[in-house]
Amino acid sequence: MNDLYIILTATLVSASCALLGCFLILRRMAMVGDAISHAVLPGIVIAFLLSGSRDSVTMLLGAGIIGMFTTFLIEFFHKKARLQTDASIGVTFTWLFAIGVVMISLFAGKVDLDQDCVLYGEIAYVPLDVIITQGGVNIGPKALYVSGIILLVTLLFIFLAYRKLFLTTFDPAFASAIGISTTLWHYALMGAVSMTTVASFESVGAILVVALLIAPAATAYLLTDNFKTMLGLACLAGTISSITGYYLAVWLDGSIAGAIATMSGMLFGIAMIFSPAHGLFFRKIKAEAH
Amino acid sequence: MIRILHIATILFIAACSSKPETQERQVLKIVATTGMIQDAVKNIAGEHAHVEALMGPGVDPHLYKATQGDLKKLTEADMVFYNGLHLEGKMGEVLEKLSRIKPVLAVAASLPDSILLEVEGFEGITDPHIWFDVALWMEAVKTIQRYLIEIDGEHKLYYDSAARAYTAQLDSLHHAVKTQLLTIPEEQRVLITAHDAFGYFGRAYNIQVRGLQGISTVAEFGLRDVTELVDFIIQRKIKAIFVESSISPKSIQAVEEGCKQKNWQVKIGGNLYSDAMGNPGTQEGTYIGMVHANVKTIVEALK
Repeated sequence: MNDLYIILTATLVSASCALLGCFLILRRMAMVGDAISHAVLPGIVIAFLLSGSRDSVTMLLGAGIIGMFTTFLIEFFHKKARLQTDASIGVTFTWLFAIGVVMISLFAGKVDLDQDCVLYGEIAYVPLDVIITQGGVNIGPKALYVSGIILLVTLLFIFLAYRKLFLTTFDPAFASAIGISTTLWHYALMGAVSMTTVASFESVGAILVVALLIAPAATAYLLTDNFKTMLGLACLAGTISSITGYYLAVWLDGSIAGAIATMSGMLFGIAMIFSPAHGLFFRKIKAEAH
Repeated sequence: MIRILHIATILFIAACSSKPETQERQVLKIVATTGMIQDAVKNIAGEHAHVEALMGPGVDPHLYKATQGDLKKLTEADMVFYNGLHLEGKMGEVLEKLSRIKPVLAVAASLPDSILLEVEGFEGITDPHIWFDVALWMEAVKTIQRYLIEIDGEHKLYYDSAARAYTAQLDSLHHAVKTQLLTIPEEQRVLITAHDAFGYFGRAYNIQVRGLQGISTVAEFGLRDVTELVDFIIQRKIKAIFVESSISPKSIQAVEEGCKQKNWQVKIGGNLYSDAMGNPGTQEGTYIGMVHANVKTIVEALK
């Protein structure tokens, strides 16, 4: 039963990440997940200094607010300072992380406080943190419900705003011309990304979220030129990584998050070589046929 | 379609009921987080329990990453012991929640607040490294004993006598540490290490403790920290500083280098066991051996 819980949670998280990852890759903002994972540090410190407690809810609140602020800053530097998005992401998260480090050494050097020990969850422990109803019935792990709700919200968001997100991603100029606010939809998407990443950090840990936000979407990107197909393939790649990664971890008795991230990288490698349209293998065959 | 549903139902039921049930459980399966706790539980429970530790020698509990096998150990365990007070970070929170399902004891966190060290300036945040004060560790051992009896009352007599014998050993260890440290001249009784793990040690044995980093092993030390520490060492003419088994020696080497530039030879006094014990099977692989080794290293270097 534990196996099932972990695989299911990983699959749900990977699906949300894969869907959002497709948009991020096409907007050249794939590193935003990694950026948020670092940038939440000052949020944690501030939440601790204000509340004096290190429990998950407080930390999640601090991290969530700073996560939103991060995406806001990235866009602000990009738009107002005319920085490229990658440079803007880089400036934002290193700066926020650095502020966090300085704050810890100034105010909280004697308290064990960093993302690793107060915010990031561990997917291996998903089955241990169960929800018990008032009647005393064990209804399964909390992380399973959290990741399920996140996926539902993500799906609903993409389903309802698909056309606007699609247009602002592929043809921002046209989108503006027909009256769709690129800025508004950018912030809406980034809001969804920071909500998903921060909540998933808390349930399954950072490395898994950062990897799943990029690798499955990148794999799907190599396999198709149709965006809807890409969304589907990214979810599939995420699911395959979750299942095979879990059994890799069982086999090696290693970190589950590490193994799933490894498998998602492997899938990307396979796609890079064997993709029908862009793969190295078929390109070589075609070149030789000419 | 009905067939598919049928098969799905069978699979579902099979998945739900595939819990391995051992009919005759002879010994308790106990999981501890750190080696120190494992050693204490082993000494009390003896033959009545099989005790495993999740974190091996040389592992920093603040940065520990769980493996797939850990989950299996935790789900199969009859009892779980952990330190608490945020030593295990987020994992402690998970174990606290696990306590709703099976017997789980936070060994350090169950001690009364009045005997714990509060972190300066932060109310309610306490230093988790209680095992360096042997007398305090004896209290922890007693809470382990009480909890074992509460869960497994059948072997009360065994646990009581084992705990009595073990606390007697710890008591003589406590006094041995005290007398050995007294051989260091008073103005030399300063312990300088990389991170603040020795607060309880200093309080119990009247040694001044200075660390370069805070309790968290992630917080970086600042340049001023190094300079201040170097000045302090030269002013007090301190002979030796120490590295820890579970933390990179780099920071303490920076202090050594700083002293050298100001013409004061301070030596690295040796390796102290702080957040993890030595290898199993060696002297330092037990709590008592670890404390002896630490005290020997400190006394030899500072005398």
